Amino acid sequence: MEHHDKREERRPRLRRRAQGELEQQVLAALHAARGPVSAAWVQERIGGDLAYTTVMTILTRLLAKDVVTRERAGRSFAWTSASDEAGLAAFRMRKVLDGESDREAVLASFVTTLTPDDEQLLRELLGRAGAETDD
Amino acid sequence: MGVFVFLPLVLPLTAWPVARLAEHHLHPRTATRVLTSVAGVMALCSTLCLALLMVVGTAQLPGNPLPDAWSDPEVRAAVPYYEVAGKAAIPALLAVCAACARTLWRHARVRLRGRRALEGLPGTSVAVLPDDAPYAYALPARDGGRVVVTTGMLNRLAAPERRALFAHERAHLTARHHRHLLVTQLAARANPFLRPLRTSVAFTAERWADEAAARAVRDRRVVARAIGRAALVSRGAPAPALAGFATPGPVPRRVAALLAPAPAARTRPSLFTAVGLALWCAAFGTVVSAMSSANSAVTMVLILRAATPL
Repeated sequence: MEHHDKREERRPRLRRRAQGELEQQVLAALHAARGPVSAAWVQERIGGDLAYTTVMTILTRLLAKDVVTRERAGRSFAWTSASDEAGLAAFRMRKVLDGESDREAVLASFVTTLTPDDEQLLRELLGRAGAETDD
Repeated sequence: MGVFVFLPLVLPLTAWPVARLAEHHLHPRTATRVLTSVAGVMALCSTLCLALLMVVGTAQLPGNPLPDAWSDPEVRAAVPYYEVAGKAAIPALLAVCAACARTLWRHARVRLRGRRALEGLPGTSVAVLPDDAPYAYALPARDGGRVVVTTGMLNRLAAPERRALFAHERAHLTARHHRHLLVTQLAARANPFLRPLRTSVAFTAERWADEAAARAVRDRRVVARAIGRAALVSRGAPAPALAGFATPGPVPRRVAALLAPAPAARTRPSLFTAVGLALWCAAFGTVVSAMSSANSAVTMVLILRAATPL
């Protein structure tokens, strides 16, 4: 009974990671391709037992994230990678930052937003600092 | 027990003067440590006293989980019988627990999502993300954490300023500033009177990292320029501020502090300066707070033991 519970608990986590990995694989495949390719090409390239519909789902999800682009090619689409893995990481990080209202508490960010008065004061301070060193 | 059980709930007020003054007069490292410890101890005491009040409160509830003898008239005579306070403590304690749990959960979630976002990148200590939005921060993790910075930020800084930026973020990671921030956040949730300490520690931790960066690059002006430039390029929507009340925000104060000489790391401030007085006031409040809650806790244990027929 206990064993069963444990497995139930772990499954969703494994699945989510698998999705992230699949996105990476699809992106890597698109990145390796020179020019637009079809979903079937991606499926073949990745290999394994990945279903065509799964590839399509992932591609559509990536399209929604602006990480890939597509264009009509006859009756289907041709897909191109819009960014590499670093681009995808940047995209995901932006989503994390936009989604967390109190991220400041965890991520000590380098600077915080300025009020107009702050901006004025800051420019004065920097101007004074610059005048003493530069030029 | 008497009035002592209420003292830790209001004693955080003694930390207010030092929260203000420490930002200006203490070395940022000292200020961060002192304020974090004061906030932590006071929050613990305040929560403990809330819990004790709640125990008194539950004795008034029908079907309470405490020993049957607990609601006997003799016990009620021994415990000051604050009916309203006891009952008010129950929702207050529940609210504190919920708020703290929420804070912890969010903290963990931000860290987890941040780490997940970086999956697939090489595991270097600095993650450079191709993004025009200029931002940079330290993402804490068990193995030391990573500095996350965008190309948008790096492109707008000169080489020495980039070094200052990295030194600043590394200082956050090596000194584990996220723990200080988390402690003061939880403290602010536990007792709203501790909120000024949270703001102060958020500022002094940045100052601490600034000073560490200034030492690493051996030039205070470079750090000041890096902060100033980064702030000017990353201004998006202007932060809401009440015109007229606007005191200089954290960024200009940090830059101004860096343009001034390095702060001295004095160990023991004199009692006769304003900051010394405030510091001793906060220390006194913390000690009284700890003693009151210890006193109340011991009293409560003794009464409970007397009330339990075991």
